[in-house]
Amino acid sequence: MSAMVKLADLQGNILRGYTKKPHVRYLILEVANPAAARRWLAASTSGRSDGVPQITSGDWGASKPDTCFNIGLTYEGLRTLGTPSASLEMFPNEFIEGMTARALKLGDVGPSAPETWPAPFNEPKRIHLIATIYAEQPEQLNDVQKRALADTSAVTLVGTREGYSFPDDRVHFGYRDNIMQPRFEGVHDADRYADGQPKAPLGTVLLGYRTNLEGLRWRVPEPEELGHNGTFNAFRVLKQDVAGFEAYLDQAADELLKQPQAVGELLPPGAEAKIGKVFSIEGVTPRSALREVVAANLCGRWRDGTPLALSADVPDPELVKAANFDYVGESRCPFGAHIRRSNPRGGKIVQRVANNSRRLVRRGVPYGPAYDRTQPRQLEPERGLLGNFIGANLGAQFEAMSCDWLNLGLQDPRLTGSNDALTGANGTDSSWFDLPLKSGSTIRLRGLPRFVSTQGGAYAFLPSLRAIRYLGSLTT
Amino acid sequence: MPSEGGLLDRFVDWLPTTLFFKRAASWILVPYWAHKTPVKPLPGGPHPSFEHGDNVQCMMNLIMPLKVKSPIGRAEAALAIAQNKDAIYAGLNNVGTVHFARFVIVGDNICMFSVYDGDFTNYIRDFIATIGSVFNAVVALVEDGEDVTPCEKNVDAFIQWIHERDLYQVPDTATDFLRDQEALNGDTAMSGNHDDLTLLPRKLVLQLRANPNVSLGNGYRAYPGFSAAQVRERLELGW
Ligand code: HEM
Repeated sequence: MSAMVKLADLQGNILRGYTKKPHVRYLILEVANPAAARRWLAASTSGRSDGVPQITSGDWGASKPDTCFNIGLTYEGLRTLGTPSASLEMFPNEFIEGMTARALKLGDVGPSAPETWPAPFNEPKRIHLIATIYAEQPEQLNDVQKRALADTSAVTLVGTREGYSFPDDRVHFGYRDNIMQPRFEGVHDADRYADGQPKAPLGTVLLGYRTNLEGLRWRVPEPEELGHNGTFNAFRVLKQDVAGFEAYLDQAADELLKQPQAVGELLPPGAEAKIGKVFSIEGVTPRSALREVVAANLCGRWRDGTPLALSADVPDPELVKAANFDYVGESRCPFGAHIRRSNPRGGKIVQRVANNSRRLVRRGVPYGPAYDRTQPRQLEPERGLLGNFIGANLGAQFEAMSCDWLNLGLQDPRLTGSNDALTGANGTDSSWFDLPLKSGSTIRLRGLPRFVSTQGGAYAFLPSLRAIRYLGSLTT
Repeated sequence: MPSEGGLLDRFVDWLPTTLFFKRAASWILVPYWAHKTPVKPLPGGPHPSFEHGDNVQCMMNLIMPLKVKSPIGRAEAALAIAQNKDAIYAGLNNVGTVHFARFVIVGDNICMFSVYDGDFTNYIRDFIATIGSVFNAVVALVEDGEDVTPCEKNVDAFIQWIHERDLYQVPDTATDFLRDQEALNGDTAMSGNHDDLTLLPRKLVLQLRANPNVSLGNGYRAYPGFSAAQVRERLELGW
């Protein structure tokens, strides 16, 4: 990887996925003593290998690190560490207010409301620092954690969250994830994954560079070493109701079976068998095939990853990681599909300047055991996604996507008034999803419950290595 | 705490009924109360809501005091709008979420009233991205405008600045007004005092002292719940 940007100054998880390190643990930390915490930060970039774990940068040099370690700081964290108030004031509002204050914008209502979040997220003011450990082996997580927490005068552990990547990048609900990421201008590696979209300017993901909105630059908190090459992360604990999701697929398939013409259009000759083969459905029936059709439409990709924009009738093993497609003309990908709502690509949308401006780097890992449909339990354990949504401006990217696109559906008049079927704040009374048919008409699915609810989270600033050194050297 | 100061409360609530006390109240008692109970101006714009219907056809009532408070200042403002009218209209069209927008001069203020869909910050940000230079030209004529221009380089501060000049929308019901007041004070525990609707006039007086210009309610809609693009689509105007 080579770039216009000095990779050694960036935290490594911004431009890299650490895909070879499937075990991930989040340490939610409170500053115990500001001076000791500043020493802790200074030590994390000291280059010494015996004490506080070293922050993994974007430049790995010759040897891959065994484990990776990265940090994010909340506004309370920056304040407690003694960041000068003139600098604090330069951070954007949404970051200063924190995630819980933005609940209505994010659809964190009802079962997702911050008042219902479990510890440590029930006390957002105590969340100062979120450290993330990535490792190949689970034991390594403990080693790194021990080193991170050795100096009890520096930071106090207020909670942990732990995830594990499933094979083939599968996430709960059974979809393949981790296919799309924005490719950035000047980051050489990006050429390998041409996706037909304009490369995102670095200002989409880092402070201090040109953004996608013409002429616009986000304010970089000063001093320059604090803000430059930093970015923001929306960390989200997203609980997934997999049993509810599978039950909804049954319900929707039963509804569709009542409409023979629709079944004819959705399952053209040969489709049923092909779907059965790809998903290893023993004794495939129209009903079991239609369940997959519904799942594919809600997401915009079949559960194996095949985009509907390229193959709407059947999944295609050749296309499971396909990225190069667009929504211009008569795309068969529903307007309301999760991936089309969250990235309309070059398709026509109401907010004409916004097409490529809300892109996010996503780093997510499932938590909780995989769901087994053949052996449902009376009381399913909690499971979901530990999601990180990274962008240089939370308001213009993560929040804008959440409030106007994933919920509300403002980008297309045919969607407005509906929420994202997969992740939106749905209720069975009012929710709907329009499933497109080959003939051009649509069938409206109703009664979608809320499949994903928020169980915690925080807005964090991901400082550059230079910024971590700066914070480590502050005196008050 | 109904007993403590209860007599004074009742006294103040009774005051508005007499002309003499109306005068006395506005010159002496209101400032005294304001001094005793400092009231922050409530923030402008629609009340935050997750309901779909509340997030389309939102009203912006932007009041911006002109720097030059004279016929010349007002004429400058009129000219700035006239010269940029085509760009502004094209920009609004491009933003895609605006139903109506108009400029008005009231007193020595240049006002922009608009009806838009979705999140306020997204609306203003997209507008900056579309015709930021026009915003700069207009805001240059407004008090403190130089603090946040060029808007393209001060996006968040500019959005906040606009938000602060968007009128508070006084809710139609007393309970909603008290809710806003409590939210602002960061006081979520409903005290007995706050539940007492007979105290509303005094609270409203104090708020209107801190916040002299407000919108009364959030307006009437002939066809609520539709976005601009939905209306255009249904009228086959293209969107
Ligand atoms: C538990 C919750 C979620 C699940 C299960 C989920 C699932 C998925 C899946 C399966 C994909 C397709 C794989 C890929 O393109 O890499 C995807 C893509 C995507 N998701 Fe989600 N997602 C969730 C939450 C969110 C949230 C909260 C956001 C944003 C606020 C979001 C934004 C995106 C974006 C931007 C893409 C890429 C679309 C593209 O570029 O084509 N997702 N998601």
